[in-house]
Amino acid sequence: MNKKLIFIMVSFLWIAVAVGIVISKQHTIRTGRTVLLETVPVDPRDFLRGDYVILRYKISTVDLQQIQSEKSYYGRKEKVYVKLQPRERFWEVVAVKTKMPVSDSGLYIKAKAQYCYSKKLELNYGIESYFVPEGEGKDIEKNMRGSKSSIGVEILVDRLGNAIINKVFAR
Amino acid sequence: MIMLSVMISLFWWAVVIFIIVKLVSGGRKKHYSWLQRELPLWEEKNIINKEQGDTVLSLYKLKRVTAKKKMDMVKILTLIGVIFVGLGVIFFVGANWQRIPAHFRTGMLLAITISTLYAGYVFSYEKEGFINLGKNLLLLASLFWGATIALIGQIYNIPTSENWYILLLWAFPIVPIAILFKNDYVHVLASVLLVIWNFLYSSNNHIANYYYPIFIFLLMLPTAKDSILSRRISIIGLVSASLYCCFNQYEWLALLISAGLLVGYLAQKEERAYLYTASLSFIFWEITYFTVRPQEPNLYFLLPVGVMLYLTYKDNVEKNLVFCLASLLIGLNLALSSVSQLLGYPFNGLQFIIFQLLSGISIYSVGIVSRNRGYLFPVIYKIIGYLVTFICVYLLAFKVILTATIGLVGGANNVHLFGSLILAGLIALFVIDERRFGSFKSKSSRIELAALIAVLVGSFILLVSPYTVLLNVIAMNSVLVIFALSNIFLGVELKNPPVFTSGIVIFTLFIITRYVDLTWALKEKSLFFIVGGLVILFLGTFLEKQRRMIIERMK
Repeated sequence: MNKKLIFIMVSFLWIAVAVGIVISKQHTIRTGRTVLLETVPVDPRDFLRGDYVILRYKISTVDLQQIQSEKSYYGRKEKVYVKLQPRERFWEVVAVKTKMPVSDSGLYIKAKAQYCYSKKLELNYGIESYFVPEGEGKDIEKNMRGSKSSIGVEILVDRLGNAIINKVFAR
Repeated sequence: MIMLSVMISLFWWAVVIFIIVKLVSGGRKKHYSWLQRELPLWEEKNIINKEQGDTVLSLYKLKRVTAKKKMDMVKILTLIGVIFVGLGVIFFVGANWQRIPAHFRTGMLLAITISTLYAGYVFSYEKEGFINLGKNLLLLASLFWGATIALIGQIYNIPTSENWYILLLWAFPIVPIAILFKNDYVHVLASVLLVIWNFLYSSNNHIANYYYPIFIFLLMLPTAKDSILSRRISIIGLVSASLYCCFNQYEWLALLISAGLLVGYLAQKEERAYLYTASLSFIFWEITYFTVRPQEPNLYFLLPVGVMLYLTYKDNVEKNLVFCLASLLIGLNLALSSVSQLLGYPFNGLQFIIFQLLSGISIYSVGIVSRNRGYLFPVIYKIIGYLVTFICVYLLAFKVILTATIGLVGGANNVHLFGSLILAGLIALFVIDERRFGSFKSKSSRIELAALIAVLVGSFILLVSPYTVLLNVIAMNSVLVIFALSNIFLGVELKNPPVFTSGIVIFTLFIITRYVDLTWALKEKSLFFIVGGLVILFLGTFLEKQRRMIIERMK
């Protein structure tokens, strides 16, 4: 095989992969609706690993008895769509569905079930890591300690339910 | 709990056996490689001619080796330089990325990556005399590509639970460089990244990763024929993935990996690592099968063990016999454990150990037959058989252990009992048959036979009367003494210092056993250790002196 052709093909592949990820993420940023989420304290032993902060949200734990839910149990890694609604400043969970409803104009965010016990569902939204410049994670860490976290997170959610962190702020 | 203890004990055996055989065969290998290196030199100096050299090589079944090309200093320095620059850029991106606008820094890094790729291509194929530089630049471009992907992941806060995705996007796009540009450095990098990807994928998603072995078998291994390091990394990655299956109940994945490695061996027989790891993977599959279906006896394991044994004999791969025997022992034990669970028999430690002991004697007996009839590998059979038997006898010689085992017994396990009786019957038939053909005529054979009968009788006493601790302690300690004495006599008879020394070691172990049994019940444990330590020191010095004197006389 012609070596020059290989070089061109590989370059093309690399650019396509890099640009592809950027475009998909930018699409979420451009078209996404802004949602403010309340964080909850995380075990300080492992929420800051190197240069990123582990975030945990109030919406990460859902009481299935308090909201509308299609099922009473969700398997590990099961894909779900969580309906969010603003309540005062921050958004909260109102329903959990296994498919994205077509007719509903409400805001749905994609999530994966981590585990489900006593009708309590732990969810992962793919927005649990926030990268910070070296050493700057300490301030966020300080604000997330104690019984109540004073950190809020602004995220953007597109119409397919994909979410991306826009900024982290002190409440 | 029972299953765990069975698995741990089986693993422990396999590891002990492997290490000892490795140690035993390792010394010989060193001499062989020395001979392989020296022969060309003797031929060059006209001490021997080429035909004589070939005769010497064929005597030891060795192949002629060509001197390995030494890596020159420039190559090493440029490679280190490339890795340093790559790491520097990754750290720079990690530390300063927020000070530069997001799109600019991504574009900049991507431009540097593609430029480096281009430079690698130009120096490899367009300009003459810079092949090595070109090769290193292609590796650098592959490292930069990883930095680009990591940076994009950071900018968009891709969660760490999805690191497998980052690894995937790093590894797969560099595979064309490794294969189509035949760059072995990048091949090694891709192989390492794929191993990490596999584990991150499985652990984060909690599912078996079938893509990994398929990709490795179909693409990475066939293209790594000339890159030993890359091939070995992939093979280690596969066997680790197979081990991972044991803890996650991925039985089909374990089977796929084992079968794939076996096909790999059949396709490239000079790479023995394929056969060893295929055998090891089949062991992991046996364990995985048991964890998935604890109450379904697995007799299918006999098929892969049979194939492995056939290949071991056909291709004369001595070391693989260790894996085959471990596989056979583990498979047999797991099948019996399943039958026990199915029939509702409890785990009985004493009967379990006796069954292992008789398995050890059976393996040793195969060694005797192989020696007498001139079959392959008599020594390996004897070493493994002896080790398994000895460990069991030694454990059973402790009154403390026997009492504790009986304390744990919830009832008899007739599966192990009948298994043991069948094995004992077979061994007895073997002894009678071999005696009929006059195989035990020499003095050393008679000593061997005496030890065999002693173990058989000792085991039988324990089997028939498991609750008479005193009788059992006497029986097993007598067997231990017979073991020690037979090794001492055999050592003197054969003028073999290692066998003689092992007799002395067994005798010392016997003294320690008796000491522990007599004094363990004492409340004052410090006295136990102080007096014990002094006794061992005194005894050790005395026995060592005697041992040296006798070995000196042997010479």
